[in-house]
Amino acid sequence: MNLRIRLERRMHQRWWYSLLAPTSAIVAALCVGAVFLAVKGFDPVAVYRALFEASFTSLYGITDSLSVATPLIMTGLAAGIAFRMNLFNIGAEGQLYAGAIAGSWAGIALGKNLPPVLAVTAVLVLSVLGGMLFALPVAAFKAYLGTNEIITSLMLTFVGLYLMRFLIYGSTSFWRDPAVTNFPQGKKIANAAWLPLFGSYRTGWGLVLVVLVAFAVWALVKYTKVGYDMSVVGSSPAAARYAGIPSKRVVLGALLLSGGLGGLAGGVEVASRAHALDPNGLALGLGFSGIVVAALARYHPLGIIVVAVFLGGLRNAGAALQSMPGQRVPAEVSLMLQGAILLFAIGAEIFVRYRLHLVRRPAVTK
Amino acid sequence: MTRRRRAGIVLAAAAALVAACSSNTAGSGGNATGGTSGTGTAAKVKVAFVYVGPVGDAGWTKKHDDGRKELEAALGDKIQTTFLESVPEGAESEATFERLAREGNKVIFATSFGYMDQMLAVAAKYPDVVFMHATGYKTSANMGTYFGAAEEARYLSGMAAGSATKSNKLGYVAAFPIPEVIRGINAFTLGAQKVNPNVTVDVVWTSTWFNPTTEKEAAQSLLNKGIDVIGQHQDTPGPGEAAEAAGAKWVGYNDDMSRFAPKAWLTAPMWDWGPLYIKTVQDVMAGTWKTGQYYGTMADGLVKLAPVAESVPADVRAAIEDTQKKIISGEFAPFTGPISKQDGSSAYAAGAKATLEELLKMDYFVKGVNGSASGKG
Repeated sequence: MNLRIRLERRMHQRWWYSLLAPTSAIVAALCVGAVFLAVKGFDPVAVYRALFEASFTSLYGITDSLSVATPLIMTGLAAGIAFRMNLFNIGAEGQLYAGAIAGSWAGIALGKNLPPVLAVTAVLVLSVLGGMLFALPVAAFKAYLGTNEIITSLMLTFVGLYLMRFLIYGSTSFWRDPAVTNFPQGKKIANAAWLPLFGSYRTGWGLVLVVLVAFAVWALVKYTKVGYDMSVVGSSPAAARYAGIPSKRVVLGALLLSGGLGGLAGGVEVASRAHALDPNGLALGLGFSGIVVAALARYHPLGIIVVAVFLGGLRNAGAALQSMPGQRVPAEVSLMLQGAILLFAIGAEIFVRYRLHLVRRPAVTK
Repeated sequence: MTRRRRAGIVLAAAAALVAACSSNTAGSGGNATGGTSGTGTAAKVKVAFVYVGPVGDAGWTKKHDDGRKELEAALGDKIQTTFLESVPEGAESEATFERLAREGNKVIFATSFGYMDQMLAVAAKYPDVVFMHATGYKTSANMGTYFGAAEEARYLSGMAAGSATKSNKLGYVAAFPIPEVIRGINAFTLGAQKVNPNVTVDVVWTSTWFNPTTEKEAAQSLLNKGIDVIGQHQDTPGPGEAAEAAGAKWVGYNDDMSRFAPKAWLTAPMWDWGPLYIKTVQDVMAGTWKTGQYYGTMADGLVKLAPVAESVPADVRAAIEDTQKKIISGEFAPFTGPISKQDGSSAYAAGAKATLEELLKMDYFVKGVNGSASGKG
């Protein structure tokens, strides 16, 4: 058989393709997951039902899913704003740590002397600056030297992780609580700097904040000149040059914005959940999961909210699956599903952008 | 453009997958065989365990799960146990504790330090549920803590190590620079010096509890320096595998890990959580449970020493056994003066014994340890 597949770029993408791609990716991943579960001796239907019930049917389940979704929305936005310009900042994880370091500094140092609104603002603003500062090398090297941002942002993630660990585990830094001797622990930020929760639930104003940021990012890319410049530079650097758009500055700005959003994810985590620089509790892979969120949402800022809630629920259900009566599903299953969804999402992306043709090759003469 | 874009996404995807794997260290995980028995009659008391690692870690988490199994064996169908493994510490664990409380568990055990604040917060919401937190220090009316004097067994394991070295250079793969780990290193050193006054102990920090690769590499770095006996604090047999390959000796931790490195194996400090779990649940069922901070010892049976290898000379084995008897009877404590600090100053004068409070705050190395107790280098 001398068949080969030829990809032909679609000139017009119908609007519903952008919904079909992620949906089919999720369905395909769940199907593959079901086969895996069945092979391992579980009842896939029961597992998926338990997963859904744990995360989406009770008010407690929903609010817990939303509390996981909150940082995912921010890291999704961080990845999405850069990825849509073909700038692959995959370092939101490290920028989150940097934001948490800067934000917790503000919460400890400034929080106690400020009224609540200002204290929270200080944590959030500092976390944005921390994330931007951490993304600065990535942005500057990319914009002015053309250095591959995938490599720099990934490597900086490890710098961020070890810096955070060093501040708590390896030194008696400002962030470490000197009163605790059992185990190195971060100093608590002032109560005034906490983002309040709704009643006894674990979600609160942090969620409201990140949703507002998502709308702001959406408005930025859709309605402003900056957003227009970004999309031109992203889709065709040559055209941007021709149109007199300062490409380098736009690239620099976009990566800094991406870093700032990643940093804000850390600030929101510190202000609403961690309340301290907690090297274990912050290193949950939220930044990397943001890449999955962004890809599945096809980088749409509002789509990111929806996808983050879905993946937040998936993640939240991980522990619940382990205590399912009669069956013990390993927590890794929910992570595995997340990975499968990403792979299928990338696969589906090709079908959205290209038309597949089967082409018969002319017989090769030897 | 499109090729670049695809390459980028693939790289990003790879990174995300790596992250997803590493954030939940070590895959193993549970099998279909369950912690929950599923029948759930109303009379059964539900007991839940939250583990930081996988039950297949061969160390810390495995021993806690052994304790859970002992509990099931002892109380049979009066109880129903559940366990959750690889639960990340910190903020996200709060939802897990609340879920377990809402699912009707009457006793919840958590086995890692990083669950403390979250458990405390949930304990305040569910006053009828008993919460037990290993290795922490915060308690409330319905939340107690539990841990134990591993240093007693570490001293004994040090005696085996001190007799096994030819170079008089021991090494220690250490987890985090905190009092628990520091006093373990000190006890190990004092025990080794008891049988061999010339030994030194080089310390290397990994900042991990469970990372087989990192810990193996750390052990290798010690072996490369001519060290011929390795001690450890983490929950994996990684350092033992490195010692086995190098023809060196090894003191493990948590459990009898001899099967991983039969030639290198000397012994190990071990935990036996079962009796504590049984007593706690019985007390809760009888309504006599009280909060507090439990610090178990060898005398209580919480801390044990794994069987000592045949390669340790018979007279040393006899001395270890004799010392163990004295520790259990209270005649001897590992931290009894004279003890000098690393810098030569005196920590305890001859005959003086360290108090429990001093042990729990120990932040210096004794003489003979090479390394920084604050974790540098």
